[in-house]
Amino acid sequence: MDPFKGTAVAPMRRPSLWRFLLILFFLLYLLVPLLATTAFSFANRWDRSILPEGLTLDWWRAVTERRAFGAALKNTLSLSLSTMILSVLLVTPTAYWVHLRVPKAKPYVELLTILPFGIPGVVLALALIRTYARFGGNIIYSPFMLVLACMVISLPFVYRPIVSALNSVDIRALTEAAQTLGAGWFTILRRVIVPNIMPGILSGGLLVFSLVFVEFTLANLLVGPRFKTFPIYLVEFTRFDGRQASALAVMSFIIAWLTSLGLIWVAGRVGGDREEAIGAR
Amino acid sequence: MRKNRRTWSGWIALIPFFLFGIAFEIVPILLVLSSSLKSEEAWFTFANYRRAMAPLLARSFLNSIKLSAATASLGVLLGGLTGYAIYSSRNKLIRNVTIALADVATNFGGAPLAFAFIITLGSTGVVTLVLSQYFGISLYPTFRIYSIAGLVLAYLYFQMPLMVLLIQPSLHGLRREWKEAAINLGATNLQYWRRIALPILAPALIGGFLLLFANSFGAYATAWTLTGPDINLVTVQIAALVRGEVQLDPGTADAMATISLAIMAVCVAGYQWTHSRAQRWHR
Repeated sequence: MDPFKGTAVAPMRRPSLWRFLLILFFLLYLLVPLLATTAFSFANRWDRSILPEGLTLDWWRAVTERRAFGAALKNTLSLSLSTMILSVLLVTPTAYWVHLRVPKAKPYVELLTILPFGIPGVVLALALIRTYARFGGNIIYSPFMLVLACMVISLPFVYRPIVSALNSVDIRALTEAAQTLGAGWFTILRRVIVPNIMPGILSGGLLVFSLVFVEFTLANLLVGPRFKTFPIYLVEFTRFDGRQASALAVMSFIIAWLTSLGLIWVAGRVGGDREEAIGAR
Repeated sequence: MRKNRRTWSGWIALIPFFLFGIAFEIVPILLVLSSSLKSEEAWFTFANYRRAMAPLLARSFLNSIKLSAATASLGVLLGGLTGYAIYSSRNKLIRNVTIALADVATNFGGAPLAFAFIITLGSTGVVTLVLSQYFGISLYPTFRIYSIAGLVLAYLYFQMPLMVLLIQPSLHGLRREWKEAAINLGATNLQYWRRIALPILAPALIGGFLLLFANSFGAYATAWTLTGPDINLVTVQIAALVRGEVQLDPGTADAMATISLAIMAVCVAGYQWTHSRAQRWHR
């Protein structure tokens, strides 16, 4: 072989400097803001020198001792959990039924689950207000409407993992076996289908939980100060106390990391499909 | 006949889902579209669009488009290169850790992210201090985190990892044999990339750009936390109109929302199309 050609063409996996530098830059870009915020929330003075002048738990104590903190946390948890449960309850039977009995409905169902990607949060809030404000302020500007709005933005995130879980098991055979044994539809769904597609339901549920936990736009525009969620509380703090805000930001990071670990754990058990990873901001 | 009846009974079970979709997606969107073309005086008018194109609001579209184009192209470039570096890295641990990190980071955003960037690159931020004390580079006052440039940096935090993830399936679709065949036929590395690899990756890169563009165009929480009402973006203006801060003018909000939806629709539909093209090469 021509030796010149051998040098012109790099071997596929030669360790190289640019690869190392790119990955290092990427890791630093993603980690430095998180580490800086975490350190900031424990530092007692940190604006004159590279390292904080001392460590303290004061900011964490101050922010968690407020009564409003507990209320915001409770609001956000109940919002995330109810959105998660209702989305799963709405999507699981639908996806199962479409998969098994009405494949013709699939494009329409998929359209409705992809549509939320194309609707910015502010536009969804505006559209819901324009549609439902006529029924009175206590319907549209209520936590109940916020749950429904969060369900809309959750649809793509619940639907995809459940569908790929349905594709990975022989749903028809399972259903027919259960029918032969005399099971009704509800029993089939609850005792046969749900246990088999549990990884999909869990990933969808976890994604929705972490998405809604940090959801700011809809909460801010639909209910605002009447039902303070964790992100709204955090934004208020960034305006007047950066130290306590940093403790709140670290709490959000921890929640995001925990749900991601949960997702990795679930995916590790089924060989997850993460082709669509689209954040909603 | 019997088959027909069975199909119909099948659709009945889907009623709850379709009712939900119609009530909370289709009807609200159609209502915004139709009322953007109406006013108190006329049942069909472009008056709302004329108001939405007033200098201040037109500039908000320009700013949003510029911001989205900047973060999408930087995201595709940096995320694509990093994605390739990760894909071709020999170390399995590095591959798994960076991909897992990208997975978490792409879902970060909003208030906590914006705040982390203030801590990092604000006027007394950690990186700002390190740069000025160790490298003699003072970012301020030329750079401000509370500006469009600051927003670009903050958005890249979720745009780069998203591109890293989006490009992976297509990179795995690049077969080793193709490169070997090209080299055996006398191609250089550059020729291989220009004539074979990039054309195959093109749908994924274009689709990635469109998705990142949409991702940035619709973002609100990060911008609002970082810059408040100071920066004139479409989402910030619509939110202000929704809250009734500026003036009570739902028609203008409807028109702005309709234009935004059109831009988003082009991006998402374009992404779907390129995505199905890209999948031809997936293994």
